[in-house]
Amino acid sequence: MSNLPPKLQEIVDDFAGMTREEKLETLIAYAESFPVLPEWLREKRDSMEPVPECMTPVFLFAERLADGGVHFHLDIPPQSPTVRGLASILANGLNGRAPEEIIGVPGDFFLPMNLQEAISQQRLNGFAGVLAHMKQEAVKLIGQNHKSAPIF
Amino acid sequence: MSSYVHPEYLVETEWVSQRLNDPNVRIIESDEDPLLYAVGHVPGAVQVDWFSTLQHPLRRDFLTKEKFEETCSNLGITSDTTLVFYGDKSNWFACYALWLFQYYGHQNVRIMNGGRLKWEKESRSLVKEVASYAKTNYQAKEADKSIRAFRDEVLKQSNDKKPLVDVRSPKEYSGELISMPNYPQEGATRGGHIPGAVSIPWAQAVNEADSTFKSPDELRALYEGKGVKPNGQIIAYCRIGERSSLTWFVLKYLLGYPSVKNYDGSWTEWGNLVDAPIEK
Repeated sequence: MSNLPPKLQEIVDDFAGMTREEKLETLIAYAESFPVLPEWLREKRDSMEPVPECMTPVFLFAERLADGGVHFHLDIPPQSPTVRGLASILANGLNGRAPEEIIGVPGDFFLPMNLQEAISQQRLNGFAGVLAHMKQEAVKLIGQNHKSAPIF
Repeated sequence: MSSYVHPEYLVETEWVSQRLNDPNVRIIESDEDPLLYAVGHVPGAVQVDWFSTLQHPLRRDFLTKEKFEETCSNLGITSDTTLVFYGDKSNWFACYALWLFQYYGHQNVRIMNGGRLKWEKESRSLVKEVASYAKTNYQAKEADKSIRAFRDEVLKQSNDKKPLVDVRSPKEYSGELISMPNYPQEGATRGGHIPGAVSIPWAQAVNEADSTFKSPDELRALYEGKGVKPNGQIIAYCRIGERSSLTWFVLKYLLGYPSVKNYDGSWTEWGNLVDAPIEK
């Protein structure tokens, strides 16, 4: 395995050793501990277009911290606990890390967690989707600093 | 205002709330999101997951009749039990589960109008406690192929210029997208629709505010206005057959069309099928 940010690696390792039931319970715990969007971002979220079809609307905002790290703010409706849980794992594992490090997270980093036995392969698309979105935001932050277009 | 043709297949949240302890009624939650049931569900409800419960573990098909019997037995269902399905996403997966229970011959089925969304909006109680019921010895019937379409039949329907309803989003119908907007674009190598199919996105059949079905007059105007009339056989499809289950339910029960089939192979089969005709 490549080097994942330590917190994310820890979460991956935890899940790898869990039974199916424990995985479900932990995912629900992540979904339920989902942080509330701070006041200063609410207006930004409300101006977002509603998405047609029945996909889960994911609001994501990357804040650059003073030390150069990234903090992801997310808003996902409670009616979508699976996407919430997966996004919450990513935010927990990546918050505070440098954008370069976030971009380096492989798109299939979650395979060793063996989550498909708990929530089925299809639903793991949410993981890849949110991670791709986070990487895009991280790329933008690098662009702002170095004034050059980064490449994946 | 006229009424639905088979109103007995649709029950309201209030009706359900008065039957939470009725041993002859089993409330079944079926969601797109597999964790919703665990987060909180209608008191006494059991869960049927469209994927882990209802699909065959190996082949692309549904669970076998024997597995279906085992599932029903474990949920304490008998052939006389009234099954009330509800779920997230405007009852998409509730309709899918209902369709599959009918496929294996369970006749006494209902949809809770508005599903989870309406139940939540009315601040009705949701519990985490997982309900369990005394095991039964459920006997299923042979699969009812009159409600399920297979590809050869779909090709014939298309060649014969008989009605096919494509319930996907407009961009999937036009071939611009292969899956729903903002979903991963995978599962089919070609985009477009089955020749002759009319586009009537499934969501047009439900009220956005509370996920309830539109009125009989609105539904009739919607489908008949696009030339889908209650004569002859109609086949509905989407990407994997879940969204089209909702349309199937509307056409068959709310509007009483005599012969409606759901093509569960849908675009993930058709868009990969060698030599299958496609229109864009």
